[in-house]
Formats: sequence, structure tokens, C-alpha cells
Amino acid sequence: MIFKCKNCGGNSVYSPEKKMMYCPFCDSEKSDERQYEHARMQVCPNCGAEVTYTEHTSAMQCPYCDHYIILDERIEGVYAPGRIIPFKMGKESVKTLIREKFKKCTFAPTDFLSEVRLNTVTGEYIPFWMYSYHTRCQFQGEGVKRRTWVSGDVEYTESSYFHVVRDMSIEFEGIPADASVKMPDGIMDLLEPYDYKELVAFQPEFMSGFLGEKYNMASELIESRAHAKMESSAASMLQQSISGYSSLTPANRSITAPNPGTEFDLLPVWVYRYTYKDTEYPFYVNGQTGKIIGTTPVSAAKVWAYGATLWACLTAIIAMVCCMIV
Amino acid sequence: MENDFKKEARKQYLHFFRFWFIAVGVLLVVTVLTVIGKNMMRTVYERHNSQSPTERVFDYAEVLTDQEEDELRALIAEKEAVIGCDLVLVTMRQPVEGDAAQEAYNYRYTSWELNMQDIADDFYDNNAYGYNAPHGDGALILDNWYEGQKGTHLSTSGRVFDRFGTRDIDEALTCVDRYVESDPLRAYSACVNNIAGKMGGNSGISGDAGAAYVMVAVIVPIIAAGIFVGTHLRSKQGKKTTTATTYIVGGKPVMNQQRDDFVRKHVTQRRIQTSSSSGGGGRSSGRGGAHVSSGGHSHGGGSHRR
Repeated sequence: MIFKCKNCGGNSVYSPEKKMMYCPFCDSEKSDERQYEHARMQVCPNCGAEVTYTEHTSAMQCPYCDHYIILDERIEGVYAPGRIIPFKMGKESVKTLIREKFKKCTFAPTDFLSEVRLNTVTGEYIPFWMYSYHTRCQFQGEGVKRRTWVSGDVEYTESSYFHVVRDMSIEFEGIPADASVKMPDGIMDLLEPYDYKELVAFQPEFMSGFLGEKYNMASELIESRAHAKMESSAASMLQQSISGYSSLTPANRSITAPNPGTEFDLLPVWVYRYTYKDTEYPFYVNGQTGKIIGTTPVSAAKVWAYGATLWACLTAIIAMVCCMIV
Repeated sequence: MENDFKKEARKQYLHFFRFWFIAVGVLLVVTVLTVIGKNMMRTVYERHNSQSPTERVFDYAEVLTDQEEDELRALIAEKEAVIGCDLVLVTMRQPVEGDAAQEAYNYRYTSWELNMQDIADDFYDNNAYGYNAPHGDGALILDNWYEGQKGTHLSTSGRVFDRFGTRDIDEALTCVDRYVESDPLRAYSACVNNIAGKMGGNSGISGDAGAAYVMVAVIVPIIAAGIFVGTHLRSKQGKKTTTATTYIVGGKPVMNQQRDDFVRKHVTQRRIQTSSSSGGGGRSSGRGGAHVSSGGHSHGGGSHRR
């Protein structure tokens, strides 16, 4: 499907700044109408050009007429997302954020923050499985509290032994694991957290103006990632509940969680793929909070030029100071 | 576009180093003015002593070749004109310690150090050395090569006496110690340079001191540039901003059971070992080793025995 402006026929897109559908061609607001629903997937419904996409693509941009196309079959039925966090930051805001964050990266290539390069930033809706757990944590063991004091030239140590019992229930909700093969898991984990209060029921309108994917794999296949996060968090809670002991010897410790509940949601991510000397340096920006993850490339020429200049300046300063003193 | 990026790179570079370049420029102007000022204000010393001999190098121990003696004479002549102080070197090879030496050479003392001091002072006084006047500004290096009683004494007089503290004397003598066994000329030259440097000559940047300055001027900036590059190269992907409670409903767990039952207690004891320590030290500056010579003139000085 495509969202067209009723006034000018241009491509209506979702505007994060205005929080509504908007036509960038005639500045009309809420003038959108769905067209070409369930059109043939291999051609652009607007210009008729042949388009190519991956097996997981659900939203794309026609490379010929620049219209954003949403593939109906990939947002319906088993692929229908339950909820979505719409993009909160627009392209210009993200470009400003990236500039601010990396402006002090002295050794980054000169064009890294150029307008031309930053214009390649794309907004993508990433498929996430959200897991919920009813977790039970139990602990039994021996805790020791030690107290030391000095009297005269003798040091005394008192050891008190306790039988420690803990039993707690923890409700986890919305532990995310991205269901996209192309997105690195570690990077997606670092982009967290999203504010789930802004999750809304999925509507295709939110995808107009952005790229998107359906989930690439079933929830069971990546549940281990969410389970690991849950277990780490539960262990930390358990540890925090047992405080004040100098040492702790567990006799019985268990963290159990029956089958998790799952939901399929879409979360917004801006991606800036910068290529330097044939290597791609991807930067990911949380489309809701603006958190940026990525490592800047280093220009060897700049390292040498700046390092040598600093060395020369310092040498000259020291030499001149010595000259004045002597 | 390539040209635009190059232009932008140049702009970034100049912007980044603008304060450094300004600092270097300002310092350059100050340095040039300082050097010019120093040269204009440099005191020109005129010799007012015709009683002392013109000879400055007395190699009685014969540790220097004739050529080396000439080299040393030239160095001393050059430094004397700059600092306005007589610099005299005397080497000898005779016992200066014990009853036998006292009797044989008619010394006042039996001590090595006191006799070295007397010989140096008397040599200076008897020859009426002093750049400004007899018994005036100058220093005498006395080096004894007598086996088993080797060592150096520095006798200071006039302005050198006022300027040199025990630490300065020690440093000058250390210059001799360092090279004298392997290269006496280098040892005496280093000592002359050291004295001249401290008295306001520009020889402070030659020899070892010069090497030290070069080390500081080259190594320190290399280290600083390395640290600068290292810190700017460090680039983190991003920080984890989730916590253990991020995905917990209500932000905390529900505690079903929490018990801490006291079981038993025991006490152990240990005797504490004690220890004590002490230390101390000091230093002085100016008019080091002050005394009056047998001729009644004020001298400073000190010795290093090897």
C-alpha cells in the first residue's frame, strides 16, 4: 500500500515532529489516503518500476519515485505487529544529535558529520519479540557477619552465623529481543531501554516514510536472549535482598520461570551507515530516546597531523622557555 | 567536493590548534625580546688584577697532554671573559694525609680534607688570583692523583664564594668524579663549564645539561602527544543504560519470605605486632664551606675523595 496526499497526490508520510500524517510536498496535514492495497509486490504501485527487497522487508522506498511502499502481506496475519512505538525524533533532530555527540571526535574523517553524509540517515522499524516472565527466586544458605575491634595490643574478631532464607516473586514484562538478522544483538541491547508508555496499537500509517521488517525468526528461537536478561536481573535482585553479611555460603539457590508470554512489536531506530576506506561504520539511534550507539572511524592522516603538530608546539614552547631561563 | 572536504579539514585543524599557535607565536616574540635584552644587558667584565700569573693550568700530576692543556686554557680564557672570575686548575701527586705527610710537607693538619683545603687556598692566595683584584673573584680546582689519597677540592673566592653553596660545590665536584679516571680533560672541562654556568655564563646548556634539556624538549612532548592521541582515539560504542529493575513490573520484586535466623557466634583474638622508624636530612645554599685561609682571606669550598 501507499499513502497518497488527497490534495496534491504526493506521498504522505508520518511526521515525528507533528505526530501525524503529513504531505512534505504541499504541507497538508492528515490529508492521506491509502491506495493500492494488496498491490503486486514486485512493482512499485506508484510508478510501476520493478522493485527488489529482502525476504523480511515490510516497508521500503521505491528507488525510482522515492514513494514509501508498505508490503501488506508482511504486516498482516501472523506478521501483524501487536504494537508500535512511532518515531519520536525526525531526521533533522537525529542529524543534530549525531553532530553534537561526535563533534569532539577530533580524529574522525572530515566528511563524517557533513550534510551530504548525514542525509543518508534512514529510519527503520525493527521487529522485536517482547517476553514476559513470572519468575520465582529462592535462596537458603549460611551468612556470616564479622566485627573487629582492638583492645590494648589484642585484636578481637567476632563471627556471627545466620541461617538465611529468601523467597521472592518477580514479574518481568517486555524484555526485548530483536528479531532482525541484520541488526547486531549487542547493539540492539545497548539501544535499550524504550519507554513502553508510548507503545500504541499498530497502524500502517506509522510506517509511511520509514523502512521496516517483519520478524525474521520465531519467538522460541531467540527466547534464550531474553531469558538471560531476566535471569541476570533476578539474580541481582536476590543478591540485593541479602545484604549486610561479610560472607555468604549458599546451600540452595534457584531462579525458575515457566513458559514466557510473547508479543510482537515494532520499535524505531535511525541508522547512519558511514563508509570509510571500504569499511562500513554503522551508527544506531534510538528513534524514541535519541540514545546513540556506534564507534567513530579514525583518520590516520589526522592522527599523524594532530599528534605531530602538538609535539612540535610543545617542543617549541619548552625550547623557548629553556632558552629564556638559560 | 574533495576540495571542499580538504578546505574543511584545514579549517578544523587551524581551529583546533588556534590557541597553541597563538601561544607559540607570543612565546617566540617574548623569547626573541628576552634574548636581545639579555645580550644588551650582559655585563662586560674588565680585568683589574695584574699581579696574578697568566697561567691557569698547572698539571703537576701530568695527567693531561700538552694539547689537552691548551684546550683547557682556551676554555678557561673564554669562560673567564664571560663570567669575570679566575678559574684555575692544579693537579698534583703528593700525600696529604697522616703524620708522615704532615712532617714531610709541613702541613698544618693530618686530615686529608683540611690539607687539600689549605693547599688550594694557599695556591690561590699566594698567586694573588682574582679577576677583579688580587684575592678576588675566582675558583681553584685542586686534583690530587696520589695513589690511595685521590680526590678533588674546589676552593671558591669572592663572587664565586658568595654564589656557591655546598650543593653547588658538590655538583661541580661530581662533574670531575664522573669522568676523571677515564678522561681527565673532559672531567675538568665539565667542572669549568659547570662553574661558568652557575656564574651566569651560557655553558649551562652544554654537555650533560644540554643533553637533559634535549631529552625534556623531545621526550616530554612525545609522551604528551602520545597521551593526547591515546585519549582521543578511545571511542566507546555506548553505555548500557538498563538496570536490573528496568523490566520488572512495579520496579521491585514481591518478597514471599525473608528470614535471617541467628545460629551461633564465636570470637577469635590476635596479638598486634608494633614497629618504629626514623629519618631526616637537610641542605644549604650560598657561601658553602666558608672558612678563612692561612693567608687570612675568606674562601669557600669542599672536597670529594675517590
